[in-house]
Amino acid sequence: MTDASDSLRPIKILIAALGGEGGGVLASWLHTAAIAEGHLAHGTSIPGVAQRTGATTYYIEIVPGAGGRHTSTRPPVLALNAAPGEVDLVVASELLEGTRALQAGFVTPDRTTFILSTARVYTVDEKSAMGDGRLESQRMTAFAEKFARRAFIADLGAIARDVASPISSVLLGAIAASGALPFSEATFRRAITAEGKAVEANLRGFEGGLGAFRPRPTSAASAPQAAPAPSADPRFADLPAAAHAVLAEGVARLTDYQDAAYAEDFLATVRRFAGMPGADAVFVRELARHLALRMSVEDVIRVAQLKLRESRLDRVRGEAKAAASDIVDVTEYLKPGPDEILGLLPPRLGRALLARVPHTWSWAMTVRTTRLSGFIRLKGLASLRRVRRRTLRFAEEAAWRRRWLGLVEEVLLVDPAAALEVVQLAALVRGYGDTYRRGLTNFDLIVARLIAPMLAGRLPRSMFAVALLQARIAATRDPEGASLAATLDAIEAAAAPARAAAE
Amino acid sequence: MAEVSFRKEIEHLKLGDGDTFYGEGILAVTKALLQSGVAYVGGYQGAPVSHLLDVLVEAEDVLSDLGIHLETCTNEAAAGAMLGASINYPLRGAVTWKSIVGTNVAADALSNLASPGVIGGALIVVGEDYGEGASVIQERTHAFAVKSQLWLIDPRPNLPSLVRAVEKGFELSEASNTPVILELRIRACHMFGSFPAKANVRSAHSARDRLAAAPFNYDRLSHPPATFKQETDKIARRTPAAQKFIVEHRLNEHLGPADGDVGIIVQGGLFNVLNGRLAVAGLSDADGNTRLPTLCLNVVHPLAPEEITRFCAGKRAVLVVEEGAPDFLEQAIGQILRKADLNVALHGKDMLPMAGEYTPMVVGKGLAAFCRRYGIGVEDLDAWIGRVEAQKAEVDKALGAPLPARPPTFCVGCPERPVFSAMKILRKEIGPVHVAADIGCHAFATFQPFSQGNSILGYGMSLASAAAVSGTQTNRPVSVMGDGGFWHNGLITGAAGAVFNKTDNVLVVMNNGYSSATGQQDILSSSEAKDGRGVGLDIEGALKSIGVPWIRRVRTYGIAGVVKTLRQAITKPGKGLRVIIADGECQLARQRRIRPEIERRTRAGQRVVRQRFWVDPEVCTGDHSCIRLSGCPSLTVKPNEDPLRSDPIAHVNNDCVGCGVCGEVAHAAQLCPSFARIDIIKNPTGLDRAWRRFSDWMIGLLGGKSQAAPRDRLQAAE
Repeated sequence: MTDASDSLRPIKILIAALGGEGGGVLASWLHTAAIAEGHLAHGTSIPGVAQRTGATTYYIEIVPGAGGRHTSTRPPVLALNAAPGEVDLVVASELLEGTRALQAGFVTPDRTTFILSTARVYTVDEKSAMGDGRLESQRMTAFAEKFARRAFIADLGAIARDVASPISSVLLGAIAASGALPFSEATFRRAITAEGKAVEANLRGFEGGLGAFRPRPTSAASAPQAAPAPSADPRFADLPAAAHAVLAEGVARLTDYQDAAYAEDFLATVRRFAGMPGADAVFVRELARHLALRMSVEDVIRVAQLKLRESRLDRVRGEAKAAASDIVDVTEYLKPGPDEILGLLPPRLGRALLARVPHTWSWAMTVRTTRLSGFIRLKGLASLRRVRRRTLRFAEEAAWRRRWLGLVEEVLLVDPAAALEVVQLAALVRGYGDTYRRGLTNFDLIVARLIAPMLAGRLPRSMFAVALLQARIAATRDPEGASLAATLDAIEAAAAPARAAAE
Repeated sequence: MAEVSFRKEIEHLKLGDGDTFYGEGILAVTKALLQSGVAYVGGYQGAPVSHLLDVLVEAEDVLSDLGIHLETCTNEAAAGAMLGASINYPLRGAVTWKSIVGTNVAADALSNLASPGVIGGALIVVGEDYGEGASVIQERTHAFAVKSQLWLIDPRPNLPSLVRAVEKGFELSEASNTPVILELRIRACHMFGSFPAKANVRSAHSARDRLAAAPFNYDRLSHPPATFKQETDKIARRTPAAQKFIVEHRLNEHLGPADGDVGIIVQGGLFNVLNGRLAVAGLSDADGNTRLPTLCLNVVHPLAPEEITRFCAGKRAVLVVEEGAPDFLEQAIGQILRKADLNVALHGKDMLPMAGEYTPMVVGKGLAAFCRRYGIGVEDLDAWIGRVEAQKAEVDKALGAPLPARPPTFCVGCPERPVFSAMKILRKEIGPVHVAADIGCHAFATFQPFSQGNSILGYGMSLASAAAVSGTQTNRPVSVMGDGGFWHNGLITGAAGAVFNKTDNVLVVMNNGYSSATGQQDILSSSEAKDGRGVGLDIEGALKSIGVPWIRRVRTYGIAGVVKTLRQAITKPGKGLRVIIADGECQLARQRRIRPEIERRTRAGQRVVRQRFWVDPEVCTGDHSCIRLSGCPSLTVKPNEDPLRSDPIAHVNNDCVGCGVCGEVAHAAQLCPSFARIDIIKNPTGLDRAWRRFSDWMIGLLGGKSQAAPRDRLQAAE
């Protein structure tokens, strides 16, 4: 080995980003800055179709002081791929992509400075889950803290939004703040200016990224978030304190939904259950939560009421970043079906008509609620609140609740843990149209194949609570119901030998 | 005009002696073509080589100055055939495409080119789309070089080396009268680096200095009986000529010490990966000063037997580092050694995997195994492997489940995505139908949340691939094809074939106006914009002219309409091919065009209406049916604000371009009343304001709050 080569100690950088985030521009700034400082820079990337919002990486090597060899026909050998355990600086624009780079071994305790944005761009898997499919962010930031030599963790995406700049320049600012590269701040800024693309916005972003870490490497995201202590509410002094917040919300919501008497009905039901043996604080809170939700079901009247909320337009204006001088209109996409429309009729008439109308029939409309024509229509619907108690939908909801509460009560007598699961089953029934009908079907299926046999002693009681939990999770795994069917089959099969032994 | 503008890069193409070129590998290759006096260039776009054509398309002044004839070919077969100009004339030509797929399409032309050979240097620049980031089937271009007797250059990935490969490639081609393939892996194409530039060279004959005559010479035809002579000529004359040139010009590099009883033979393109692992083992450095004798094959076909035997003579063992299957090099080297009666232990695919990308870890493990076997200490390399694997095991264990993948997907506002929403809605109604997928952005529909597509048989091949399916299934299969694939070959291979055979098939042509997945290059049906190369050919007219009996056009964003038309096409009794042309301009291209215009008009104080969509957080119950049907990147989730609920709710972020698909989906699938469109009128006119005030006044009378923003409060908040 020659002495000259011995002095070649490349700084190795890996950028993990999503297609369309400007990772290529970021790499280009780093090349420019390195060359300006008299270093040699080379690198590569695998953009391909990943440009279309897929995960992508950029790899750069900077050889300090070797800038003169840019004109050589024998440049240093660039490692085309980042090698695990050999990266000095990993920059990730998104938490999952940063974690992916860490999992691949690019972030190591002996050498890696890790700049990690905690911003999340959810994957299709995460956001299309029927319930909550999101990964736990705190676990991912904990990995970063553990495996990086120095971790710079913050929501850089939020900074980019705040200063209205691309995320790439905020990342560049964060790189400058980390001190991981032998460039002056001025060189970074000049690289942005030299590139000549959206210079003003990018300089804003750079300062934003710089400011995020300038004082010292700290982790805003890892600060433990203390849960507010539940405050006691004198109105519910006879009920467990853990349930007070939910009860207060429930009473307020149901008063708004219907009237004070309706909210009293809610409280009376909760009190009745709270007095039963086996009803602990968690049970009461969950029962109150689901009962309040089921009692404030989003019927046509409620939807109209919510859409006329006074606070709504300010919120829309804020989210759409409308200036004060702009006129903002909101047009609702509504398509009530026979269940929704005929649900407004008295039960007997509604049922008779429902039987004659095809299930697929529906009425598509767009309603501009910010204008008189739309306002008047929704106002009319919302005013039906006075007759809600006499509508078909109300009667059906009340019947469903009676059946659910009846099951809860019955199960509570034999197995409080399972009763809590029966309470939670109410979460399956929600939404509108097909989603709502699917929820009802799944609920009925679980009642018929688990709850009823268990109560009748045809399935062993020992597996009651666990089986209900499994079934509830399975019901939200796929909209086609395949997981639920398979889970119910498996539970029955597992129960068969136990039953045989018992007999 | 393509997605990326190359204004700056075009200036780099004009650099002369003494200048330094900074830029991407594929653009260095482009510059090297100009330095080599190329007379014509052609090709078909595809990652990772698209930029070669993209930059030249914009560099009209450079082309006209040098007299270079440029063609953006309709497919790779056309590009391959274009090299026919070098069969008879002393013209240097270069074509480019993505391989293996492009080479497959060009194969017929390549065979017919290789047989007579060339008198002007012919260079085929292929992007070897292999390993991480690749989007095609994993095969080696090497096979084509071997079977057609084309020479294959696989250069060390650094810019001076790529430039030399181009320059020497032309010389090799002319010295041996054989077309040369220059193979560049993805990372080499996108490599940023530098090289000392040279002045561009004008070809002796070109579009500026045209050839006067076309001499007739039967032997230049790939037609019997000339083909029999040509076959012999390839072996008897051209191959030895190439081998001689390769050795004399030292195209392959002997690195490291001259003596040593253990050595490595490596493909040029893999040298950098190998060197990185040698360096960890303490056997090389960042300058590539390897301490093990290494033969770096920048030309991997043909091999020069004397070069191989000279390197191997006196060695106990040699390791061949060769990526992909089959092991062409190892077989060829083994045969050379056997025939030379050299007793050298030959290793390669016994220590390195036969298939899959040669990443640092893969090469590191193979190298460690080889060194251990022959008593070379690699403790540091072993320690590195151990450290990496231990950390990976620890992280995997702590994570529990694998991290969710993030494949590429349809853009915000993509006009193709709603067609798949419609197909998913229809699937619930008529059950699953066979979907023949194709190459292009629409192939993203094979991923979640659509999961549609039963087969992919190649670019523009979807309809042809469904021919026998249609004859054996109850429901008509649906073939999806982009306009890129349609003009690439789908019109003839698919549509004309289906008309001729009276196949009961449904074809959906995504008419988005560009070859979008490769970077929005213009295609035949692109509009004749002043900066584009499109000529506005009419897809519907082409289909009518070949006698397609049933053609419908749909606006893709109108999902109810798409559902209805698809339902008709699939279920309506009747015979023959049914084509739905799904119109909707590529949103990336559209936004690039209209955004500056909207900004300009807003700044100029003109009335501008911006639309975007919104999910009502109080009405959304967090089931996410909308996400499973729409798949838009700007339709995502956020925490539920409702203290009684925990599941995240749907949320439209500010990337929304207001295409309206989420509202349409909510309507078509009768989802929920959560979606609303927001119209933001910038610089409203007096009439706008008066009308709004009147409406607010009436609403106020009815007990509603004024809908206008309280100006002072908003301003205070800003």
